[in-house]
Amino acid sequence: MFHKFAEKIDQHFELETVDAHCDIPCGIYDPHQAQIGALTVIRMVDLIHSMVEEHGKGDTAEFINSMARYIATKEEHAEATKHEIRVIWGDFIKDAHLEEYPQLNGLVHKIMQLGSKARQTVNRETAVELLEAVNEFAAIFWQIKGKETQRVKAPYSVSEEIVVPIL
Amino acid sequence: MLRLLKVRGHSLFPDFREGDYVLTAGFPFPSGKIRAGDVIVFRQPGYGVLIKRVREVLEQGRAFDVRGTQVNSTDSRNFGPVSRDQISGKVIWHIRQK
Repeated sequence: MFHKFAEKIDQHFELETVDAHCDIPCGIYDPHQAQIGALTVIRMVDLIHSMVEEHGKGDTAEFINSMARYIATKEEHAEATKHEIRVIWGDFIKDAHLEEYPQLNGLVHKIMQLGSKARQTVNRETAVELLEAVNEFAAIFWQIKGKETQRVKAPYSVSEEIVVPIL
Repeated sequence: MLRLLKVRGHSLFPDFREGDYVLTAGFPFPSGKIRAGDVIVFRQPGYGVLIKRVREVLEQGRAFDVRGTQVNSTDSRNFGPVSRDQISGKVIWHIRQK
């Protein structure tokens, strides 16, 4: 009750903040980039498969060029997904968070492995599994930040669900 | 003087969480001197307005060793003791999120 009251005062008067920060106080962390990366991996897998379905073996310059671009983008975004999660895990997550969410280390390790597998294969199931693991990470991240979350369909060419904060 | 402030960051987690509010009292503190274990708000050059817990009272109450709860908290291990004139208030009420 008191917190709700304080929030109302904050909304009206924009209270001064006091920092309880660690390292460089940038304070800007968000798993959204990792989710975008994972969605892009799914999209690239879809494009690769539809290219093969449409063009068969595909020995034209056009086919090879498009396929090379899809593969390069898949590689890049799978790695970007891993990078984003590593940064949040390494810089934002503290010992006390790991105690409160003992599954976090295992989850991050799973994301690293799925990210690598997504690079090695063109398996849609793996790509979706990567997104789901990142979503699970996002849900914990926003819980730590004190924000409620919801699952929404991504408004892109792939419409898998992503976990987003209710702001 | 009483001030209502909002906590940002995780240096005092899980005691204080981002989004909590604190009511602070300036000099003279209603509950007397600042003691070890008190949570204070102070201005630290280069860091802004910080909130930390007093670990140790130094120089007969003229300086304070302050700490966060995390290995990498930014505190007296980085910027040394906090002098009394840097302190703007002591937390007298912690308003937690649900």
